[in-house]
Amino acid sequence: MKDLDQLLREDASVPVPDNGFSARVMDALPARAVAKRSWLTPALIFGSAALGSLLAVVFAPADISVFQGFSDLVQLHYRTPAAITALGIALALTASAVVLAVETD
Amino acid sequence: MPQPPAPPDAELILAVLERDDRRAYAQLVERHQSQVRTVLRRLTRGDMALADDLAQETFVLAWRNLKRFRFEAKFSTWLYRIAFNAWQSEARKKREVLLDLDPDEDPPAGDDNYSEMPDVASRIDLERAMEVLSEGERAAITACYYADLSHEEAAVALGIPLGTVKTHVLRARAKLKARLTGKEIA
Repeated sequence: MKDLDQLLREDASVPVPDNGFSARVMDALPARAVAKRSWLTPALIFGSAALGSLLAVVFAPADISVFQGFSDLVQLHYRTPAAITALGIALALTASAVVLAVETD
Repeated sequence: MPQPPAPPDAELILAVLERDDRRAYAQLVERHQSQVRTVLRRLTRGDMALADDLAQETFVLAWRNLKRFRFEAKFSTWLYRIAFNAWQSEARKKREVLLDLDPDEDPPAGDDNYSEMPDVASRIDLERAMEVLSEGERAAITACYYADLSHEEAAVALGIPLGTVKTHVLRARAKLKARLTGKEIA
């Protein structure tokens, strides 16, 4: 006489022959993406943002100072060329931070 | 000359993670395919083609997500979780799978220990008997007996409360016993 536990465990222990299953699985595996170096993504994002900011400062008209722009923003003067430049830099850096935060999981 | 002992799962997983070693993963697949396919065959009521499709999906998903394996649980337990999810997703495509019990439904009474089956009760009888189980009951019995999970692990794998797993197992055992001994429960 068998008890139910024994019957279930016997049924569970009957091996299923591979019959090419493992080979099919291996064929279906996607190529693994080469692991990126952990510092590469943040460096690229911050580098791009920093370069963009630098170019904005360098190529801004001579009478525009980024510091003046931030000063304008503090005084709620949003439409001056300096304020727009400063705002652009701030947005670029914020976007970088958001991308990094999303990437970091 | 004796064969060297097979490397443990953890060693093979590390080989995959560190060196992208496909041969190591092939060994893992070969080692676990039988149990995963058995579990899925039971869940799919013996639909071998569907079970094998889901088993393949399970191993592909495991490969993709291997870096999330935390080495806290057994690799097989982690695989079963993926397999149960794959089965539930597939079942949901066809119809809603309700693994929870009707809260008003009480588990059947009766002595559950050492309920003896007649010698004639074979695997085929068992397979037929399992057809009377609900989705939830079959999932619970499969998790606890075929995947060899504890009730707690089964609850996590199936995403249902522990009490529901225990009730499902009790009810399923009572139904199977009744079916196999020819004493149906109303």
